[in-house]
Amino acid sequence: MTQIVICCGSGGVGKTTTSAALALAYARAGQRVAVLTIDPARRLADSLGVGPLGNEAQRVPLDDGQLDAMMLDMKATWDRLVERFAPSEAERDRILQNRYYRFASTRLAGSHEYMAMERLLELVESGDYDIVVLDTPPSRHAVEFLKAPGRIAGLFDEGVMTWLALPKNSRGFRALERGSEVVTGVLKRLIGQGTIGEIAEFFDAMQGLWDALSERGRAVDELLRSEATRFILVTTPAPAARAEAREFRKLLEDNGMPLAGFIVNRVSPRPSTTEVGPFPACPAGFDAEAWERICEGVAAAPASASRLAESEQPALDELSALGVELWPVPDLGGDVHDLDALSAIAAHLGAVVQPEATS
Amino acid sequence: MRVERLAGRMGLLDRRVLLVTGKGGVGKTTVATSLAVEAASRGKRVLLAETQGATRVSELFGRRSAGYEVQPLGPDLYTLSITGEAAIEDYVVAQVKVRAIYKMVFRNRVMAPFMDGVPGLHDLVQLGKVMDLEREKSFGRPVWDLIVVDAPATGHGLTMLDGPSAMMDLTVAGPFHEGAKQIQQLFSDPERTGIVLVSLPEDMPVNETLELHERLGSYRDQVQACVLNEIREPPFADLSAWEAARPHLADLGEAVELTDRAVARARAQDQARGRLAALGCPLLELPLLDSRRLRAPQLEKLGRRLA
Repeated sequence: MTQIVICCGSGGVGKTTTSAALALAYARAGQRVAVLTIDPARRLADSLGVGPLGNEAQRVPLDDGQLDAMMLDMKATWDRLVERFAPSEAERDRILQNRYYRFASTRLAGSHEYMAMERLLELVESGDYDIVVLDTPPSRHAVEFLKAPGRIAGLFDEGVMTWLALPKNSRGFRALERGSEVVTGVLKRLIGQGTIGEIAEFFDAMQGLWDALSERGRAVDELLRSEATRFILVTTPAPAARAEAREFRKLLEDNGMPLAGFIVNRVSPRPSTTEVGPFPACPAGFDAEAWERICEGVAAAPASASRLAESEQPALDELSALGVELWPVPDLGGDVHDLDALSAIAAHLGAVVQPEATS
Repeated sequence: MRVERLAGRMGLLDRRVLLVTGKGGVGKTTVATSLAVEAASRGKRVLLAETQGATRVSELFGRRSAGYEVQPLGPDLYTLSITGEAAIEDYVVAQVKVRAIYKMVFRNRVMAPFMDGVPGLHDLVQLGKVMDLEREKSFGRPVWDLIVVDAPATGHGLTMLDGPSAMMDLTVAGPFHEGAKQIQQLFSDPERTGIVLVSLPEDMPVNETLELHERLGSYRDQVQACVLNEIREPPFADLSAWEAARPHLADLGEAVELTDRAVARARAQDQARGRLAALGCPLLELPLLDSRRLRAPQLEKLGRRLA
């Protein structure tokens, strides 16, 4: 059965890079791996040595291991879902051409997360992979990722369908009037009659997909609660980390989802000593004053690195007090531009890939 | 250049609204808070608005957040945390007039997810709340001299600015369309609304800042400043001498490697400054601070540096 690793975290913690490095580590451990990223930046594609990423799998050129990378295309995934499950071509076209659908498939809040789950399910169903690593959309709070699909699924809840677009054979707009006159009256006044008609038409058209959508919703839900799935929170040693980590752990607990651990990125390495010296005398050809400045800089480097590490310690202590597996990744300096840099990070994720070997 | 003309006439803190945005994790809240603290210390009545229900500002001041209610943080400095849900309620109630109708019609089990799913509505209404606050008057003069908005991160920040036009496209006419138009007018007026971009002195954040600036489109002229955060002292002034000096110091081991990294970082900082200069707006710098100690006095210091 395909194993799933879901990397959550707020924006700017290095989630996309971590997901890619983790996927690389799994591939090097002999697994057939897919990494589904969200980051629209070209950088990840560059660092993996592949062309621009899209919805379809691209093989990463590795000497050792099998790794496919892809980037979520929301609209394409929605379209495929509609094409696959619409009961007829006429129904399919009615949805694809609806103006509200075009909004919903690209701009609807939560749509991103919903389609990430759908794409995940597709990858699992394909049977092509041992492991799928999922990078999640950046959000202020990691937990938003888990709540958003439910919100969208709620839109297709039978309740809304009943309210807005009841009899399947009616046109959406007329059905809407039967739903509730107060609601439609107010809504029409607020967002215009034409728009309401389009929205109702959309929900009416989507009704044909309802069984398929709820079936897939249930499948995703089961998958996320199964033994096959591990959730990882990617974070940094910042003061806000603890609150977020606790919130994340609680949300997973409440939903019966398995938390594997925290990857703590960019941990400042602690120098073994702050004693530096002795310094050689100023070499020939150097300005004595300039040499002095450089030696001062070198002499101060360990102490300044040590101060930085010190300032992160409380955050690390608080995270480890939560009693969850903690995987620190040292700040390796600089951006990740190529496979070598990604490999350097992957080298620190061995314990994530093979937890039983270390714990 | 319209911007330069305006910038010459108006200081960074002289507009009615400042939107602070940038990539996730670059320090938007720190910058927004510092700007608000500085403006308040200059005698302006300032409201610092967090979006998407974030409550980090009150934490920085060691208080419990009062959420959507305006809460004092100090003399002339107030904060609130805007959430999409609360702002939708405000916005719709303003249109339907009766709160009870809103609750009955829109917040029931069936309609609530539908309302939350109207495209761009969450974004639009949060800006709408800022507009309401901007218009608030007491004895004929505005209640707030300046509203600093700690806006969502890059991608979402853009979607948010896109909210009014998304709603106008969707509705074509009607009260929501009109409301969106008014919101659009406030946020696209360079005399009233300024944008501050926050970045870090590293490749990726700088790329994203340049890209954000590009994608701001018609809002681009309103960018008043770019703040480069977490600037570190270079290990020594003349970085170019390092390669020649390094072989003589090889015996010092770890300290040399740490210096390598400090030099690389200092060079990346210089590069970031150079690339961000292309934005054509003032580049302001903030030093890396120990975030454990980031409290009101530090924020004041940062604010003075910015303004």
